Order: sequence, then C-alpha cells, then structure tokens
Amino acid sequence: MKKKLLLVDDEVEICEFLKSFFEDRDYQVATAHSGVQAVEQVESFRPDVVLLDIQMPEMDGLSALREIKEKYPRVKVIMVTAVETQDRIEAAMRLGADNYITKPLSLEYLEKDVQEKIESLAGI
Amino acid sequence: MTNLTRTNRQKKTEQKFDYQEALRDVARSMVRLKRPDRLLKLITRFIDRQFGLHHTSLLVHEPSKNRYVFVNSKGARRVPAGLLKFDSDHPLIRWFALPRRKTPFQEDYLLLTDIKKTLNKAHFRLAADSRASELVKVQKTMEVLRVELVIPGYFKNDLVGILMLGGKFSGRFFTSSEILFFQTLAHDCSMAIKTAEYNQSLLEKNRELENRLQEIEKLRHKEQRTYYEIIRSLAEEVEAKEPTVFGHVSQVEKLGMMTARELGIDLSGQHKDILSAALMLHDVGKIGVPDHILMKPGSLTPEEWEVMKSHVEKGAKILEPLSDFRKVKEIILSHHERFDGTGYPRGLKGEDILIEARIVSVVDSFHAIVSNRCYREGRSIDFALQELEHCAGTQFDPQVVEAFIRVIRREIAKGRIDVTALQH
Repeated sequence: MKKKLLLVDDEVEICEFLKSFFEDRDYQVATAHSGVQAVEQVESFRPDVVLLDIQMPEMDGLSALREIKEKYPRVKVIMVTAVETQDRIEAAMRLGADNYITKPLSLEYLEKDVQEKIESLAGI
Repeated sequence: MTNLTRTNRQKKTEQKFDYQEALRDVARSMVRLKRPDRLLKLITRFIDRQFGLHHTSLLVHEPSKNRYVFVNSKGARRVPAGLLKFDSDHPLIRWFALPRRKTPFQEDYLLLTDIKKTLNKAHFRLAADSRASELVKVQKTMEVLRVELVIPGYFKNDLVGILMLGGKFSGRFFTSSEILFFQTLAHDCSMAIKTAEYNQSLLEKNRELENRLQEIEKLRHKEQRTYYEIIRSLAEEVEAKEPTVFGHVSQVEKLGMMTARELGIDLSGQHKDILSAALMLHDVGKIGVPDHILMKPGSLTPEEWEVMKSHVEKGAKILEPLSDFRKVKEIILSHHERFDGTGYPRGLKGEDILIEARIVSVVDSFHAIVSNRCYREGRSIDFALQELEHCAGTQFDPQVVEAFIRVIRREIAKGRIDVTALQH
C-alpha cells in the first residue's frame, strides 16, 4: 500500500512543490490550505502523516492539530514552523505533535523524518 | 570540448543574444539598486525570460546561520521563496565551498550531463572514491530539484550564492558561452550581495559608534559641568572667608569681560566661557591658604607671603581635571605674572603671558585697590586708575590698562558703576 501524506499550508505554491517532491518518492499526496480543510482531509483521505503549518488563517495549525489528534490519535503530525512562530512549538508538542521542523527546510531531513514516522506506524 | 568547437558555438550564440549588452544592463542595475534582494529578483526574472528554462533558482548564503536559502525562484518547478535551505554541510555546498577545489571539469559549475559522464568513467570512480560518492549525492540533489546546471557565485574565496537552473524548454544543451555568461552573472550577484552586506554592517557600526561617542560626550560634558559648579562654590567659599570682598568675583568678571571686548579679543564660542571662568575662579586656589594667613590684618611674614603666593598654583591644580577649561588653568596660573617679568610663579614677561591673564591681573588689582580689605580702607576709583597708569609697562600691559580705563570711565559716565558698591 502506498504511503499517504497530507500537506497543509496556506501557501498553495509550497503545497505544490512538496507534493511533486513526495510524489516523485512514491507517496500518495493530498493537500489542504487551512485548518478546517486539513481536518476534513484527515477524515476523507486518511493519511499516515500530516505535515502541518503552524500559522494559517481559518483555524490555525494548533487548533487543527488538537482536532486531528482527538479524532485520529494514530495519525502522525509534523508541525512546520517559521522563526517567528517558534514560541508555539511547546504548545504543539503538548497537544501531541510528533515532531516539528522549521522553515527554511532541508529536503533531506524532511524526507527522512516523514519516512521515520511511516516506519514507526508500521511497527505498531 | 576542444577550443575550436567552443569558439564556433560561442559565435553562433552571440548572434542570437548579446551577452555583453546584457551584462552591461546588469551592471547598471547593480549601481542603481542599493538593495541586493531586488537585484537578485531582477536577475532571476531576467534569466527566466531570456533563456526559456524550466526553472531558475537563486540561493544566498545567510552568514548568521551559515546556510544557503532559496530566495528567488521562477518557472514551473520553482522553489517557493524561503521554503528550502542547504546547510553548510550539504554535499552540494561542500562541493563548491572552501577550500576551493577544482571540480573534475576544471570549471566552477556543474552540469548534470557531465556528472553522469564522469561517474561512468571507471578511473574516476577508482581514483577518488570519496569524491565519487559525494558527486553521487550532488547528482541526486540536482535530480530531486530538476536542476541541469549549477553555478556557484564567489566573492574572494567565499561561496556567497548559487544559481540553479532547470533544463531548457527546447531540450537543447547549455552552450559554453551561456555558462560563461551565467558565471559572470553569479559573480556580479555575489559582489552585490557582499557589498550590500558590508555597507549595511558599516552603517550599523557607524551609527553605533556615533551614538556611543555622543553619550560619552554628554557624560563628559555633564561631569565637567558638575565639576565647574563645585569649583564655583569653592570660589564663593573663598570670598566668604574674606567678607569684605564679597561681590568681588562678579565685579571682576563683569569688568574683565568688558575690557576684553574693548581690546577686540575673540570672544566667540568657548573663548567667552573660558575668560569668564578664569575671571571668576582666579583666586579659587586661596581655598588652600590657611585662614590665619588669608585673614591676617597685619602684613605677612616672608614665609606667609610664600604660602599666599602659592594660591595661583593651587588654583591651577584644582582646575586640572577640567579638560574643557585647560586654558582657564593656564590663565589662573599666570594672573600674578608682571608685564616686566618680575611676577610669580614663573616670571613670564610681556606677551608670553596670556592676554586673558594680563586682563585678570589689571581688573583684580583695580578691585583690590578700591575694595575695603581687612587691613585697610578702600581707595577711590581715581586713585586706583592713577595707580594702574603708574604701573602700566611694569606690572601691567599698558594696552590692557588703557582699555580698562576707557571701560571704567564710560561706565561711570553712564552711571553704571556705583563707586560705593565697588568698595564693599
């Protein structure tokens, strides 16, 4: 079965870039551009891993994280932060985020991290 | 590629595209644009439009974090600004960064097609195993980002930026003159970035220095002000010890300033403050003279007289920490010198004595004559002026005496001098 990844960022371009990157790596990828969409997509697409931007309009990353983790605690969520949102990392980790990465990203590290989360799921 | 085919290709492309002209445009933009981010944007857009590439990306070194961030990107496979970075230990960065090694292609660029060819060469794989594995990683990065050509930009020996280019829509290869053009462009960008960085840090440093200097100057000024006030109260203390000369200081100051003006001395800016301070503080050293000498009704013994005379040096010493009033100290030290060279403490003569000191000397003596002292009644103004005239050329500078007499006569005529007030 294909690895399923949900990308959530209000910037469409970022989603599109990462989508093609992960599709090249044999992932099945869905995208969402707000917290509300993200929760909907988790319900319908059932991803293994969610890459969730912490700062978005219309329900921010933290609220989306809370809902996702309440309904689907098995889904792995990696938060994406920027320098100016680093103060929210702690809150995210308390809400059950599985990891966080900071923009600008290292593609190699990102891929490794997503891969690890998938593997940890398979291990359960 | 042989030199011959290279030249031929170059000629061919030059007909299509004037690189010289394009570079001149860029150079002109560099001069116009003070902010390098706008220049980089401009260059990215320029390459994107001019060469028909799948994408064009520019990475810039962030010195504070020692990483390379994608700042500008154009085309279908563009990398959103600020999304990706290469850390300094990334294989691609290591490939180009210090120490600058020659790539196997003898050039400062990497073409994906060349890498493939090189990796296929058995001797390269065998000769430089670690280099080959590094090159494999570089190749992978280029493939992931769909990059065909990588051009590093250096300033001196620092890798400042990297130009990453996707393939051409036409499917054609990059020509050597195109690569050369990109290299020049990358070099120009690096220079612009570094110059802007340098200017920025210089500006900041300058501003910081200026602020600090201003603060120091303010503090110093405040300190000097405080010290000056202390000395002034000391001077008042001295006067209080000799109740009969109360008012002396302000009188001496007023008459002294008028005499200086009469002599046409430059009293602009600090000059005025210096003379004023000297006139007011000239006897401050008396604070160090014991009261029994200072207030002795009878005449002083030679020993007592020596102590009395030391007040000029003591005054100068008190003034020493006031760097703004270095000249005041000199005036105070010299106000008992005599024009003929027989005064104290140094026996200076004529014009070797500061003009300000010569003024203080005349005004102070005048005042001493007319004032009531603990040992005698004050004399009349006429008597005092006669005395000054008598001593002009020996004790006093005759020109100062003349000017002073003119001032006094004018002031009396205008009713501004109250003879009894002087005689306190």
